[in-house]
Amino acid sequence: MKISILAAAAALMAGACSAQAANIEFWYGNTGSVETAIKAQCDAFNAAQTQHKVTCVGQGSYEVSMQKAIAAYRAKNHPVLIQFFDAGTLDLMLSNAVVPVQEILPDVKWDNYIAGTRAYYETSGGKLFAQPYNASTLLFYTNRTELEKAGITQTPTTWEEVIDAARKLKAAGHACPFVTDGDTWRVLEQFSARHGLPIASRHNGYDGLDAEYVFNTTFVAKHLQNLVDWRKEGLVRLNADTKAGNYTAAFNAGECAMMEGSSGSYAASTKAFDGKYQLTVNMAPMYKGYERHNTLVGGASIYVMKGRDQAEVEGAKAFLDFLRKPEQQMAFTAATGYVPVTNDVLDAINKSGDAKAAKYATAAIGIESMNQPPTADSRGIRLGFYVQFREIFMEETQKAYGGQQTMQVSLDNAKKRGDELLRRFEQTYKGVKLP
Amino acid sequence: MTSESTLFSNRWLPVLLVAPFMLLIVLFFYVPIFQAFYWSFFLEQPFGGGSMFVGLDNFARVLSDREFWQAGWRTIVFMVTASSLAVLIPLILAVAADRRIRLSLPARNVLVWPKGVAGASIGVVFAFVFNPFVGILAPLNKAFPGIWAPGIDGTDAFITLIAAHVWGGIPFNFVILLAGLQSIPRTMHQAAAMDGAGPWRRIFDVQLPLIMPQLFLTLVLEFTESVTSAFALIDTITHGGPGGATTLLVYKIYKDGFSGYDLSGASTQTAILMVFVILLTAAQFVFLGRRINYER
Repeated sequence: MKISILAAAAALMAGACSAQAANIEFWYGNTGSVETAIKAQCDAFNAAQTQHKVTCVGQGSYEVSMQKAIAAYRAKNHPVLIQFFDAGTLDLMLSNAVVPVQEILPDVKWDNYIAGTRAYYETSGGKLFAQPYNASTLLFYTNRTELEKAGITQTPTTWEEVIDAARKLKAAGHACPFVTDGDTWRVLEQFSARHGLPIASRHNGYDGLDAEYVFNTTFVAKHLQNLVDWRKEGLVRLNADTKAGNYTAAFNAGECAMMEGSSGSYAASTKAFDGKYQLTVNMAPMYKGYERHNTLVGGASIYVMKGRDQAEVEGAKAFLDFLRKPEQQMAFTAATGYVPVTNDVLDAINKSGDAKAAKYATAAIGIESMNQPPTADSRGIRLGFYVQFREIFMEETQKAYGGQQTMQVSLDNAKKRGDELLRRFEQTYKGVKLP
Repeated sequence: MTSESTLFSNRWLPVLLVAPFMLLIVLFFYVPIFQAFYWSFFLEQPFGGGSMFVGLDNFARVLSDREFWQAGWRTIVFMVTASSLAVLIPLILAVAADRRIRLSLPARNVLVWPKGVAGASIGVVFAFVFNPFVGILAPLNKAFPGIWAPGIDGTDAFITLIAAHVWGGIPFNFVILLAGLQSIPRTMHQAAAMDGAGPWRRIFDVQLPLIMPQLFLTLVLEFTESVTSAFALIDTITHGGPGGATTLLVYKIYKDGFSGYDLSGASTQTAILMVFVILLTAAQFVFLGRRINYER
């Protein structure tokens, strides 16, 4: 109620004084080549018009950005625009600190966004809360050169084939056939979504704050136990097992031959492979006998925060409009590997004659992966204090990889600790209804 | 009258001189601490806008949480092992440097250098030093694959942490202990030597008893500091992992508060940790402090 009244008031005022100029701030969390691309967009916006000026501030990581936003919001010192990552979605929806973009920009054709992206960020009434920005999804990367050396000519598409290939690579003397960091997003969320498995009851929390975690009883438990066994066999490596100390760095350096990774790291991999190895990207592997469903949209989206004056909100709207433009999205995709998430951008890419170019490789595959038939459990994750749950999941599963306890014990512990978080979230937002 | 009044003619001048510092302490210590105690009785929404009084619920939740006790236990293990080593090793070095053995003069200088290095920088350096592939233990790993794996094995990670902490603690404790040793009159050594006491006997019967005040000081400071100063090391070397094996209480508070947005739980743990440190220091003074003879 409160949100919609405020937003309506904001919308009214928007009409009244749309000509005001403003200096606005936009906070983001990315680094490296993605940060370069974000800065380029900010400069392009400032160059394209003179009415508003955006200052883009990098915070170093998604988590830090969110921490600082919380502190800044409490001190009434926050920016009008801020990029938040997928895991914080429900925390922000209930924070009362942001205005849904669809209420601030009611005339935009929001149904232009592909269904998978909308599902993750929209309210039960179908209103987008945030404007998807750097959207990514999980893809399967291979170093074709290394695979061919071991006699593998077909890129594996199922886990069974991945492990066959890993055995061949190992037999050929390869020290690191498949690498992952065991990150919650990769091994739990994206795996569960595309295999059609629930992570929590009440459709991953979409139907109410009283959800409970159930992943410890699904097929994901078997998969994670497999990862433990494959690691013992020398087929799968974790961050700490690699010389590079990090799975993408290990893959990019040619140390590891296959990895599951975000489409957002595609640009870095092509750059690192250039002239040395051949790179393939495909949809993430499935287990035989499971029907493929959509992968989730990862990455981050942009929220409009409350409590800034109308002129700044106008500037924010102009910047959001600018970022939605097809040519901006295309340039961003080409520079980073993040996936464009509106249908008109896909059309624009197809018309550009560059559709087959390497720089758009992740766009087609990423969209295809996110457009697989959805289930009620593959819409997204709407669970409270989920950022902390991701860490709990990592902590508990690391104990299993380290051999301290079985994977099932780890998952049962993670479920128990996760449920405690959900109950506390429910209590913290007592009486609040899911938007 | 007190000695101040003989030094300062204006009775407000000393107050004025101390005021800036007191202001800083109030702003950055007492206010946050008060805030933490206050929040520990509320369930606080991360972005503000709503908090609910829950009485002792937060304490009940924290005290019944297995993770809290495990982090607490790890804190105590770290405190005892790391602080004892951080006093023992400088003590050995100080006794050696005091004996004017070869190179003791340059050693007195060099051993103080780490004092100038920030905890986080020590962490970054030690992460490299103990890296299983390129660090000093890499040859060991070559011979016995997987024997040193701080990224997988919690014990290895804990050892790394202790080593870094001890290294960082050497300079201060070394300086204090060496100063204590040097202030022992030479005549004491000479008298003991004339009575037939060898070097080892002189260490245990003359030097150690006479530097008890310094040893006590370093121990108290180490014990209280190791509880909190491990943060910079954990944050740069292990991030609390693997599998939470190096998540000491101080790091858990940070994680819960900042990445878990659990301001109430983090505040509650802060309150508990602070009471623990105060009790610990008090206990040291009551049980150890009284036995120390400060007169010479």
